[in-house]
Amino acid sequence: MHIPDSFIPLDHAIIYWVLALPFIIMSVKWAKNELDEMKVPILAALAAGIFAIQAMNIPIGMGTSGHMVGAALVAIVFGSPWAGVLVLTLVLLVQGFAFADGGITTMGANILNMGVVSGFVGYYTYSILRRGLSANIAAFAGAWLGLFISAITCTIQLWLAGTFPLVSGLIAMGTFHLIIGFIGEGLITSVAITAIAKSRPDLLEDDLNTRTERAETEAMA
Amino acid sequence: MSGRANKKFFYFGIAVALMIAILAPFLASPDPDGLESAAAGVVDESKLSDLEESGPVISSPMPDYSIEGMGKSGEVAAIAAGTLAVLAISFGFGKVFKKKA
Repeated sequence: MHIPDSFIPLDHAIIYWVLALPFIIMSVKWAKNELDEMKVPILAALAAGIFAIQAMNIPIGMGTSGHMVGAALVAIVFGSPWAGVLVLTLVLLVQGFAFADGGITTMGANILNMGVVSGFVGYYTYSILRRGLSANIAAFAGAWLGLFISAITCTIQLWLAGTFPLVSGLIAMGTFHLIIGFIGEGLITSVAITAIAKSRPDLLEDDLNTRTERAETEAMA
Repeated sequence: MSGRANKKFFYFGIAVALMIAILAPFLASPDPDGLESAAAGVVDESKLSDLEESGPVISSPMPDYSIEGMGKSGEVAAIAAGTLAVLAISFGFGKVFKKKA
């Protein structure tokens, strides 16, 4: 869903940069206030993994493919959507400048869609569902919805840009990203969270719900 | 727990990322992604070719994760280089902007 330069006129692209900037600044503030030195290697490894997996396009039929975005996964692991914004910003910078994947002018829009929207929707959907569901199901649903909503946001930007018609654009983008979100985002995020919960349960302890659960278990013991 | 275990996660993460970088050029679907595919479906042809002709505003060293004239091995090298660049940048960023003890 990386928007190339030519898809959005420069004046719109600047507005999206201006809108993205406070989120980027807040994500740096998150690091300054919350990023434990011990967790820097975790952040770097997740960022590298997300860059690599974004190059792995999965076929979804209809002559179309798609890949994971990863903001929800990072947000869940770090217990904050700001971590997702931060990692996606770093990944998009490298993709845009070194690989022409996503434009430079449109990077603000791409950061808003893939970092902010998919990170926030993914994380908060996960958090709400986590109250009643297991981590793997909550992660699946959060990541899936996060990707879908970010595709819808992207379509609206392209409609405002005069590039896409609204209704057929929403139908095409919505259909493709429901499928991409199911496999590419939901399943992979769920598998990764399950693997981390098994091998490194302490990593997920920032997660509010896990913390509550642990406190309850301890109180019962 | 966490110091050594986090290092293990770090090296494991790098190994998985590089494995994906090596496999991606062979396994990844060459089909257009959701956005490109939607554009081909809903934007009329002349407008779409205009959009495609006006390329990126800056030229990139490795457009489309490839190195000119190097085929699949160039793609592996490009994705691996990007993976290591993201790793180094996020590690450096983390070291500079981490929470002060």
